[in-house]
Amino acid sequence: MRVAAVSDTGPLIHLAEIESLELLSVFDHLCIPQTVYEELQRGGLPDRLASLDFELVEAGPEQATSSLDAGERAAIAVANERDFVLLTDDLAARETAADTGIEVHGSIGVIALAYSRECISKSDATSLMRALQNETSLFVTDAVVERGIRML
Amino acid sequence: MSTELSDRVREIAGARGVSESEVFEQALERGLEDLWEDLVLTRYLAGKIDRETAVERVGRSTVERADQEVRIVEDDVDWGLNA
Repeated sequence: MRVAAVSDTGPLIHLAEIESLELLSVFDHLCIPQTVYEELQRGGLPDRLASLDFELVEAGPEQATSSLDAGERAAIAVANERDFVLLTDDLAARETAADTGIEVHGSIGVIALAYSRECISKSDATSLMRALQNETSLFVTDAVVERGIRML
Repeated sequence: MSTELSDRVREIAGARGVSESEVFEQALERGLEDLWEDLVLTRYLAGKIDRETAVERVGRSTVERADQEVRIVEDDVDWGLNA
């Protein structure tokens, strides 16, 4: 099945932190809203972003959701407009998107997808999920990650 | 202890106006709290203790957060394996 996605800053940063940004090439089409790109630029663009194949897009009209930042709102708007999967590791963005019927997943889902599409081995997927918990700014409880690993 | 760690301890102690040994004590308490939470949640998620026991030991909000994380991780992995 063809999978197209739009990402906010979270998965781009977290996957870059474990040097696995290239996993995003598992998607048949990847969009990054201009606002998200500018947010990344402010913190320093991840090194491997330039070698990733993605479409830079302007978001359409956004819904006013004050609890979310501009990048999250733009990514939700693009996901809604194009019927793409939204990639976010932010809980509030995830809930807002899910409430509007958008399919939404995070960095752990990207690793599982890359594994199921045979881009990485089970052992690599396991290590990367643990690295997400241990080496990145993504907050997830150790025992929860282990539960995800057992599902692989 | 690495130089970086010593420098951090010194800086924290200076900023808080406490002794370096007090910084170590607080660090130990925080670290133990994290390890205790991990242990309780691991047992809870493995079904070795029930929800109420987990709530008694680490608090309702921590258990609720773990429940929410489990739903998200399971949903993500299930999607990734079947998309």
